[in-house]
Amino acid sequence: MSESVKRSIWVYHLNTGGCNACDIEVLDALTPWFDAERFGVKLVPSPRQADVLLLTGPVTIEALPKVVNAIEAMPRPRYIVALGSCGVGGGIWHDTYSTIGGVRELLKILEARGVKVDGVYYVPGCPVRPESILYAIALFKGLVEKKVKSEVAYSD
Amino acid sequence: MVRVLKPVELIVVASEKGRVTVKYPYQEPLVTSDFRGAIRIDASKCIGCGACVKACPPNALELLESPERLVIRYFVGRCIFCWRCVDVCPVKAVVGTREFELATDRVEDLFNYTVHRRAECRECGSGFATRRMVEYVTEKSAVSEYYANECPECRKAKILNAVARRRGGV
Ligand code: SF4
Ligand code: SF4
Repeated sequence: MSESVKRSIWVYHLNTGGCNACDIEVLDALTPWFDAERFGVKLVPSPRQADVLLLTGPVTIEALPKVVNAIEAMPRPRYIVALGSCGVGGGIWHDTYSTIGGVRELLKILEARGVKVDGVYYVPGCPVRPESILYAIALFKGLVEKKVKSEVAYSD
Repeated sequence: MVRVLKPVELIVVASEKGRVTVKYPYQEPLVTSDFRGAIRIDASKCIGCGACVKACPPNALELLESPERLVIRYFVGRCIFCWRCVDVCPVKAVVGTREFELATDRVEDLFNYTVHRRAECRECGSGFATRRMVEYVTEKSAVSEYYANECPECRKAKILNAVARRRGGV
């Protein structure tokens, strides 16, 4: 991933209907204590300037058209970093009537509309810790190794 | 009166205080003992009862069932780290960890599976419950050995037959 985004990553933070806990942790990651700007992260006010969309929340149906608009407005290469249980898998709202249930469903909708996304990062946590966000950024920049992997265990 | 520091004085104060920024990811993160991270299911202990699946608020744990297999699927990406599953597991197969570095670029990495084989019915041979669960029940109560090896359908039919025989035909 770091191949195509060599420069600092400019980030557009978009809450798609979450409870705000992840957003507070995003702010926390930007404080001098954690200081995400060490990695060149800069929050930008418009998706037109962004490399990365920092998506929190389970994508409510009310927010969906705006989310799609924001992603369409981003220049290529564009990446989505889905934060939190809601962003990744819909969280406790994954099957409720008013949300589509996270970035995986959003990607299907984007694909159906022909909107290309060059890469998606999934960052679980409820809410995500600031360290998790820093870890995701470091992973994006290729500074750390990926730790999780799918496991299949047989009981006998 | 609060005195506003001049920039020069600010530099002095700042250099006295020193650097506060943590060096993470190049240093160990601060993880306290009451922090809850991802869970792990110990497949050698799990009996496949599904209690954790019932207790999980966001359905991060799901049962995938087929006649031959019963699979407990754990999707970390949806887990809210409440550890209810840790509390309800009757055999303490679910352990909570302090893992939080779960970021990935492939969503498949976030799925963990625990696979169980079905127990086979003594009468009709079809699969039901799980082998481990039948073992667990038999261990707990010896008397259940007489019917624990039969699937619920056969058990039902047997009871109906027994009642019918008592009455001298249905
Ligand atoms: S910690 Fe809570 S959300 Fe996560 S798997 Fe266990 S019960 Fe489900
Ligand atoms: S509650 Fe424990 S024994 Fe039952 S299915 Fe879950 S992990 Fe296995």
